[in-house]
Amino acid sequence: MQGSWAWTLYHALGTTIRLCLVTFGASLVLSALLATASSAPWRPLRIVTRLVVDLLRSIPILALLIFVYYGLGKYTASWQISPFWMAAIALTLGESAFLSEIFRAGIEAIPRSQWEAAKSLGFSWLATLRLVIAPQTLLPSMPAIVNMGIFTLKDSSLASIIAVPEITQAANDLVSDTFMPFQVFSLLALFYLGIILPFTIVAGLAERLIARYYGLHSDRARAARA
Amino acid sequence: MPELLAATSYSSLTGEFLRAGIETLKIAFGAWAVSAVAGLLLAVARDAAIWPLKVLIALLTAVLRSIPQLILLYLIFFGLPSVGIQIDALLTAILVLGLADAAFNAEYYRGSLLTVPHTQREAGTSLGFSRLGTMRHIVLPQAMLYMIAPLLNSFLSLIKTATLASAIGLPEILYHSQNEIQTTGEVTRVIVVVIVIYAVVCMPLIRLTAYVERRTKERLYT
Repeated sequence: MQGSWAWTLYHALGTTIRLCLVTFGASLVLSALLATASSAPWRPLRIVTRLVVDLLRSIPILALLIFVYYGLGKYTASWQISPFWMAAIALTLGESAFLSEIFRAGIEAIPRSQWEAAKSLGFSWLATLRLVIAPQTLLPSMPAIVNMGIFTLKDSSLASIIAVPEITQAANDLVSDTFMPFQVFSLLALFYLGIILPFTIVAGLAERLIARYYGLHSDRARAARA
Repeated sequence: MPELLAATSYSSLTGEFLRAGIETLKIAFGAWAVSAVAGLLLAVARDAAIWPLKVLIALLTAVLRSIPQLILLYLIFFGLPSVGIQIDALLTAILVLGLADAAFNAEYYRGSLLTVPHTQREAGTSLGFSRLGTMRHIVLPQAMLYMIAPLLNSFLSLIKTATLASAIGLPEILYHSQNEIQTTGEVTRVIVVVIVIYAVVCMPLIRLTAYVERRTKERLYT
């Protein structure tokens, strides 16, 4: 009996992983764009980006999911967007706001003098960002980025609320079949623990190593999750 | 679009949302209190205690950080009654969200404890304070300032994760908005109202947190 439960959950794991990969990939792109815009030399663009990021950070991810579900369901009903893609859209919007803050913090940690030096060498701001600033921020931001990956995995469980057939939804189905919520949800918790704990440990180690390498108190790595 | 802008159509929504908002605040403030107390205890214990306890705490925080809050809520609220333990929904939400948040913030509280130079502790010990006494009378009062930003951050994130309580049937804002959408079909208007509510509460809080963070960091490094 236990074995077949694990089998059911294991089958739904594919959807969870696909959802996370799509979300995380899209979030990387969107947040890179947001972070680029927030370091642009044009003030109105910076202010608008700031407002957009703050607004996205203000809306709970579960609310984003439900609103995308009902909103897209109402206005794009004819497109037949599946709950999977709705969840991907909502999670991407939510995660991007945080990820862009991590990138922005990384960019701001680079001394202003580097921008000025690049400018005096004839680099445009975009070239400066791409060739001078971004490469230096990537390594120190790594632990925070891995942390965001962990959050994406955890938040993907929310997709069950709009009936995406991922692992939490599979567990919900199992509960209504077996009426054994404690056992099923314990098993589900073990699944998440098994996937996420290695990442948590790796992120912790990476954070310590990188902090030692750069000789800084891991301020940047702790870019806030709020 | 014109129906969206008609002010009268919103007034009927406000009363109900106000009640739901109070439920959200109950969850958020309750969880905040749990998180602050548990987070500080974890930080102090990890900083002071002997190694078996340290390992246990590290394990506990890692587990709490690795399981999605939604699953923890399900496990406690739907799971525990089947083995004979019944905890009501509000208490479940407050405990689960608070403890999960504490697992994250313990690190930040510990960071604030580390801002107090080690010599201060040595001075405390040499004056005859116990380890706990040094912590309470010397380290904590000085570290307090650096706990403001993590505390604000924690409240900000809890006011948002309080929405998860809708999954165990607590009538908070999101739960209510779903009801409203399903009974009236007014998708757009409800979405606008809820986004405005969260934006009005959270956006100033985000700026305030960023400001406090910047000021305390300046103070630390200069």
